[in-house]
Amino acid sequence: MNIQLLINGISLGSVYALIAVGFALIFNILKFSNFAHGGLMTVTAYIGYVASLFLRNYISSLPLFFATLLIAALGGGFLALILERVAFRRLRNNNSPVIYYFISSITMGILMENFITIFASSNFYSYPPFLPASVIHYGNLSVAIPDLLMLFFSASALSILLFVLYRTKLGLAIRTTSFDVNTARLMGMDPNAVVAATFFVAGILGGLSGVFLGINYTLYPQLGQMIVKGFVASVIGGLGSISGAVIGAVLLGVVEISLIWVVGAGWAPVLIFFIMLIFLLVRPRGISGIIVQEKA
Amino acid sequence: MEYLATTLTFTGISLIGVLGVYLVTGLTGLFSFGQAAFLAVGAYTSAVLFKNFGLPLPVAAIVAMLIGLLAGLLVGVPTVRLRRDYISLVTFGFGEAIIATLNNSTAITGGATGLSGIPQYTTLPVVAVSVIICLAIVISYKNSKYGRQCLALRSDELAAKSMGIHVERLKLVTFLLASVMTSFAGVLYVFYTTYVEPGSFGWVVSAEWTIIVFVGGINSLTGAVVATILLTGLPELLRFASEWRIVIYCTIVLLILNFRPSGMFGEYEFSPRWVKKILSKGAKIT
Amino acid sequence: MRKVTLLVLCGVLVIAMTILGGCGSNPSSTTAKQIVIGNLQDLSGPTSVLGNAVTRGVELSIDKINKQGGLNGSQIKLVTLDTKGDVQEAIKAFNRLADQEKAVAIVGPPISNIGIGLASIADAKKVAFVGSFADPRATVTEDGKVHPSMFLVQPSTVQYGEIMASYAVEKLSLKKIAILYDQSNAYAVSLVNPFKKYAQAAGATIVSEEIYSKGDKDFRTQLSKIKDSGADVVFAPNYMQELVITAKQSRQLGLTMPFLGALDYAAPFASLVNDPESASNIYFANNYSDSEPQLAEVRNAYKVKYNEDPINKVYLGYDQMTVIAEAIKLSGAATADKILEGLNKVKDVQGTTGILTISPDNHQPVGLSMVMYKLENGKYIDLGRYIPEKHKKQ
Repeated sequence: MNIQLLINGISLGSVYALIAVGFALIFNILKFSNFAHGGLMTVTAYIGYVASLFLRNYISSLPLFFATLLIAALGGGFLALILERVAFRRLRNNNSPVIYYFISSITMGILMENFITIFASSNFYSYPPFLPASVIHYGNLSVAIPDLLMLFFSASALSILLFVLYRTKLGLAIRTTSFDVNTARLMGMDPNAVVAATFFVAGILGGLSGVFLGINYTLYPQLGQMIVKGFVASVIGGLGSISGAVIGAVLLGVVEISLIWVVGAGWAPVLIFFIMLIFLLVRPRGISGIIVQEKA
Repeated sequence: MEYLATTLTFTGISLIGVLGVYLVTGLTGLFSFGQAAFLAVGAYTSAVLFKNFGLPLPVAAIVAMLIGLLAGLLVGVPTVRLRRDYISLVTFGFGEAIIATLNNSTAITGGATGLSGIPQYTTLPVVAVSVIICLAIVISYKNSKYGRQCLALRSDELAAKSMGIHVERLKLVTFLLASVMTSFAGVLYVFYTTYVEPGSFGWVVSAEWTIIVFVGGINSLTGAVVATILLTGLPELLRFASEWRIVIYCTIVLLILNFRPSGMFGEYEFSPRWVKKILSKGAKIT
Repeated sequence: MRKVTLLVLCGVLVIAMTILGGCGSNPSSTTAKQIVIGNLQDLSGPTSVLGNAVTRGVELSIDKINKQGGLNGSQIKLVTLDTKGDVQEAIKAFNRLADQEKAVAIVGPPISNIGIGLASIADAKKVAFVGSFADPRATVTEDGKVHPSMFLVQPSTVQYGEIMASYAVEKLSLKKIAILYDQSNAYAVSLVNPFKKYAQAAGATIVSEEIYSKGDKDFRTQLSKIKDSGADVVFAPNYMQELVITAKQSRQLGLTMPFLGALDYAAPFASLVNDPESASNIYFANNYSDSEPQLAEVRNAYKVKYNEDPINKVYLGYDQMTVIAEAIKLSGAATADKILEGLNKVKDVQGTTGILTISPDNHQPVGLSMVMYKLENGKYIDLGRYIPEKHKKQ
């Protein structure tokens, strides 16, 4: 296969990876698929856009890029906190079955998408050019600088995340609570705080993803529907595994690009569906997931 | 008046779709994001057969339902073995795959440009009769042995299995019943709107139906019916606030989820017994 | 139980209100001396920019006509309904306009899906639906018969596709053509087919044909293939958002050949790409030219009212109303069937987009040329009107 294709696939995969990790984080701790993450990405992307419009009079280019990222990330974190409070806190207190979280998250996702449609109209917007639209050419291959940056950011965000999860007290708390909420509480941890912290982190990741998506694909209210790719990537990688989500995402990116090359973009979704089906039947726990025996 | 007839017809068709979701999600606890794809299967099959091959409408309709059954088998057989979360993913993928196939088969289906020029055979009486028949089917299914087994399955799959319930076969049967019904709704749909395009059958439609079932209360068939009428009629009512319509819709759902998680109707079912109670006790209802 | 009764009552109330809302809303009281014209546009959906523009164009035209005394002594009243970009909604709205509001003619959207979807309904209701839905299936059935109620007031996609093909092959002498389009986009598909036919008949070869589907945002694979195919021009008749992404990605991949497209390359495409180097070497045909005199009045009126420059859809809306007004003049009356009659006779009317003559055979304009534009370094350059020999009025 073409090296250029591989490069394209990996860069696509790194976009998916950031989404998948934000998604997997929530799944890890609350055991449900958070479809509101898509809406969150969209909203934070727009927050970043507004911020960049405002700031472009003062700074430009690379500093503007970082500032936008920062604002979007923080915005995402806080939005996620609000989301947790509004959509999921009560369900947790009521001990509602998992299904309800699911429905709640989808509804929140649709809600956020529509808020954006109302306030920003269905038209699409473009971020101001942050970087001299630059490409590195190496022989016949070309890599876009924004893609490289994204890969870099995804990788660093993920390593920081893994570091936090496995080397800090907070990470320990998160992992414990995800294992068993009640025992964690018995041990003196405050599950509410832990859940809130997790959402905050997921929100930051969502903010970053939102901005990157917006740069690559322009800003429009349905931007959040990319969450489905994140879901697929998480499933392939093994629901509940962070590193699995990353691997799954990159794999998905590469497979998608190759399929498009081979059968064209029309039939690619059909083939992806079949591949996924076979994959799930053959190895339902994903690449690095753990088997969780479903009791109900 | 025609305006009202149009709204009622659409509501009726949606209701049949919701009934399908009720069977699969409410009764059996499976999350299917591809139900709308069966709508597409039914619609396109009957339209193509009618238009390009000149088959009479009843024959086309029956063939469409059979194809719906086949499609249900194709998706259902592998799906019923999977974990709950995966079912939504697979059915979603199925929906998207169907849409992609429809888009690609330009020669037969007109691809993205859609199929037009289909005569309008569906009328309000036809839809009304169909709704009643489907309701009857669902009610009898729910009250039968199958229905009770489904409920057991939904509450605790492992326990149901240990009681000897053939879990996978049950899931498949329910799923197939839903797919056939939804395909039929698709036939009604295409012969009413006289035009179909692949884009109207996405996962959002399936998600909307699932939400309706939840708002009505998964344990209550009456809830599903009333919720459909409300949530299909409400948008019309809220036409003046058309932008905010979906926001209001979502807010209602969230409120119900948070404050009345069992849905609007909870465990309640409309039944002849209840009517008798009212009539006999008069105003004193407990 | 009481809670349930309450809920049931609420439900009944809602149903009752819906019924009332549906029937009782008095069709906006029309006094005897008013001509009701309907307007069906996407005001809040994905193409709302276009829908709002057409509406403004129509309103400007009606303002002018009303100020000059109206038509046949009556003032014109415009009733606008939102289709939200959805065919189902459009069907409901059309029925409402025809039955309740008693519109005698309805202005349509520049969206082919809606045109095609409504064609048989418009015929059944016998109310003229005058729009810019360029897919020929909106005006002509598949057996070649014309839809009696459907009228198109801009070149059809067949004509447009041929104009672009002719420009590429005959004017720019580019013989190796690649095509990139969204196969789930009816508009794009109906442009590609006539383009291909004309180009091949004129001696060009299609060296690559790449597709993508709705919702796809990454075209690098397709663009790589096109790059490898050795094409010297790419035809990409897609929606603006995808064109913006395509422009960026093709630059990333190092594609240097010119791009040809459709109306979606018009403003505000250049400002959305935000990068002068990507917004270069692009050709497309537009409906109007700012240098032509007949536009000045409309453009100034628009600028005064809305403080911005009008886009092409504004002019289309304006012309659609002009054509309806002409039909009323020609047939002498403002009833639905008279307007249908009159529309079949519209000939040589000066519109903002050119001289309009509607063919009674296919209800599409005859001999309507378009203005070629080139996008260079983010700036639009007007190249003047262009019409292939084949299209010239005999």
